[in-house]
Amino acid sequence: MNPRVRATEYATTLGTGYLAGGAVVLCTVQAMYGLILFASRWDSYPSPMLGVAAWVIYIATLTGSVVFLSAQGDRAPSWSYGVFLLLLAGVVVLDLGAIWSLGNVGEYATASVSAGFSLLLQLTLRSARQLLAPAVILGVVLLCAIVATTPLTAETVPAQLTTLTFAVLPIAAGVFVLRGFRRVVQHELDRVLVQSTISAPRFAVGMLASEELARLDLAAEELLDSVSTGRESLPLSPATASVAASLATELRLHLIEGRRETWLYHAVTESALLGKSVTLTDRDSLAGLLDVTQRDGLLSAVWLLVSDTGRLATTHTVQLVIGPAASATTERRSGNKMTVPIVITTTGIPRNRVDPATWESIRQVGRYSDSTENSSVRLDIAALVDNPADHAFPVS
Amino acid sequence: MEIIAKERDRLLHRSARAVGLTGTGICLVSLSVPGTIPLATYIEALPLFAALIIAQVMTGRQLARRWLGVGLLSSFAILLVVALSGSVTAAPALVPLAAVAMGSFALIVRPTIAWMSLLGLIACASILVVNSSETNGARALASAASIAVGWILSALMGHVLHLSIPRASRRIYSIGKAHRAERHASETEAQRRQSARLLHDTVLATLTLLAHSGVGVAPAALQQQAADDARLLRQLRLETSPPPLPSGSYSATTISDTVLGTTLESVKQRFGRIGLEVSWHGTGQVLLPTEVLDAFLLSLAECLENVRRHSGVSQADVTITDDETTVRAMVTDAGVGFNLEGVDEDRLGFRDSVLGRLREVGGNARLFSSEGSGTTVVLEVPK
Repeated sequence: MNPRVRATEYATTLGTGYLAGGAVVLCTVQAMYGLILFASRWDSYPSPMLGVAAWVIYIATLTGSVVFLSAQGDRAPSWSYGVFLLLLAGVVVLDLGAIWSLGNVGEYATASVSAGFSLLLQLTLRSARQLLAPAVILGVVLLCAIVATTPLTAETVPAQLTTLTFAVLPIAAGVFVLRGFRRVVQHELDRVLVQSTISAPRFAVGMLASEELARLDLAAEELLDSVSTGRESLPLSPATASVAASLATELRLHLIEGRRETWLYHAVTESALLGKSVTLTDRDSLAGLLDVTQRDGLLSAVWLLVSDTGRLATTHTVQLVIGPAASATTERRSGNKMTVPIVITTTGIPRNRVDPATWESIRQVGRYSDSTENSSVRLDIAALVDNPADHAFPVS
Repeated sequence: MEIIAKERDRLLHRSARAVGLTGTGICLVSLSVPGTIPLATYIEALPLFAALIIAQVMTGRQLARRWLGVGLLSSFAILLVVALSGSVTAAPALVPLAAVAMGSFALIVRPTIAWMSLLGLIACASILVVNSSETNGARALASAASIAVGWILSALMGHVLHLSIPRASRRIYSIGKAHRAERHASETEAQRRQSARLLHDTVLATLTLLAHSGVGVAPAALQQQAADDARLLRQLRLETSPPPLPSGSYSATTISDTVLGTTLESVKQRFGRIGLEVSWHGTGQVLLPTEVLDAFLLSLAECLENVRRHSGVSQADVTITDDETTVRAMVTDAGVGFNLEGVDEDRLGFRDSVLGRLREVGGNARLFSSEGSGTTVVLEVPK
């Protein structure tokens, strides 16, 4: 499976179970708060029974949802959400009915505010649109009720605004937080999956190419099989012949070129985050010579540069240029080492926005110097690696 | 700090900014309604609002704690300025500020006892200040409850997020470990497939014939060839998960002797098609581990290719023998031969594609030749 697809799949559910549990706690606290307000105004209500009915339905809905959702989990059918919303609508109607004649919705609304809050219970299960639409409708209904019943004066307006905020803000904030949470998880997953490339050999096939090769082999096997059993009669039809031709071409390409790519190439192409903003130039595949520590440092540094800014706009890009290798004569050290120059140029990443951990990571790669180019950071790194020429014939 | 922890803190800070700015905005709008508070007080409060908004915006951008202090101080100053103006209508307008704008800072604070008690104190103080001019008891209770619940919900939400990220992170780590194993497996698998070059050579040759619809080849022969190749590919596919091996024994059982037989046969056929007649002698049934077999056959094919290209004769003899420890192939031709000193071994691809390959699997190769008296190569691989 494509690692990128898989990362997306994991990221939508990973860790959200705990968040859903948190939402239950939040809803309970908020419901207690609403009940206290309701009780404190008991004497003002012309018909408290309507309010009581609203609260009874609300608490029943809350409890029922918690039990139902904890049993069903992610598999909760969409009709259950419809039922949930209908019950909440009933709560809002009863609550507004109870306080209608009081002429101050903002001051007295309790269960209907809680109804907006309880959308948080469904936070991890429904799409943002499904959650925000009822919240907006609730806001509009409350607004209409306010306009219809409440005389708007300097004395009443603040309470109306506060009530509207308390009804709509929680779910909006919840959607905002959950989206951020999923992005954090997605990035981390992406990073961890890509991290596995640092232990790859100098040239690697990459997971995608490897699957592709297996697929081609299988296709060839099936074709040959159908020829040998006579299912495809000889001479072959032009269509089948062209299938054979394209199979042969693809297979040849994969056999020849599959191993020309380094771990870094695979890291960049397999990562959703790096793929978008990193361009890699490594003609001689020198990245493959870096050892595990250097690779780890380089990958983390690039990662930090790309993900450091809060917003992942496409204006932040990183260009990685590796090589050409410097001649070893200028850099004679003990053993046979050679220097691989790595140049990282960035756009849209000012020096002061670079995470301090980046420098630490770069230091793992080699000696570096940094400069500013077009108000963005440029890094020149000299990575000392084993000279591959000494290892061409390991046995003599 | 771990990258994910930093991202989590950023998320909390951004959330605090979004929620906080909403609270500030609502409060500002409420206070802007003419008559809520005296104009002079309003004008006094505006710079404080500016400071609060700056603090909230910066909170979303930076992880530095100082903006927390600036934000709390400026919002508390707003409460004092507005509440002390003596306006009776001010209290409800201050609730969103005290509950939402100030409460949002609870999102970004570590859930330690010291911090929590400090924030609790601030919350209590803000309740007192907001209600200082409130005369209606029920309203005072409502304001107090709203402010308290604002802080509590904020702190709870921050706490839940704070804890859920490490949980997700642990699971991500284990997924990552599984993925690394998978990558290694897929790399090994790809290497296995790619290094089955001999097999792919013959498959490609057959596919090329088929690409020309098989014209010019006897259908029966082509069918036979296709059947052989399909069987080899199937073998390659089914080897993907070799059975667990008892320690110290070779995975020889995964290679059935028919494979070596057919592979040798396909080598022979392949050279037959391009004009080199190969006579086989000796055993045709040898059990070898996959990588050894590959190296052995590829070297053998390379030697035959050398014979075809350089020897000037169209016949070669291959004798395969084996003893307890070694399988040996002797490739002999009666061609022109060459002077070993005069010709660099590299030029024949011998060192790279024969010797290097065999030594990788613990084997060896020796070359005997002199001008005019043919060439003999002995290939050895361990059993």
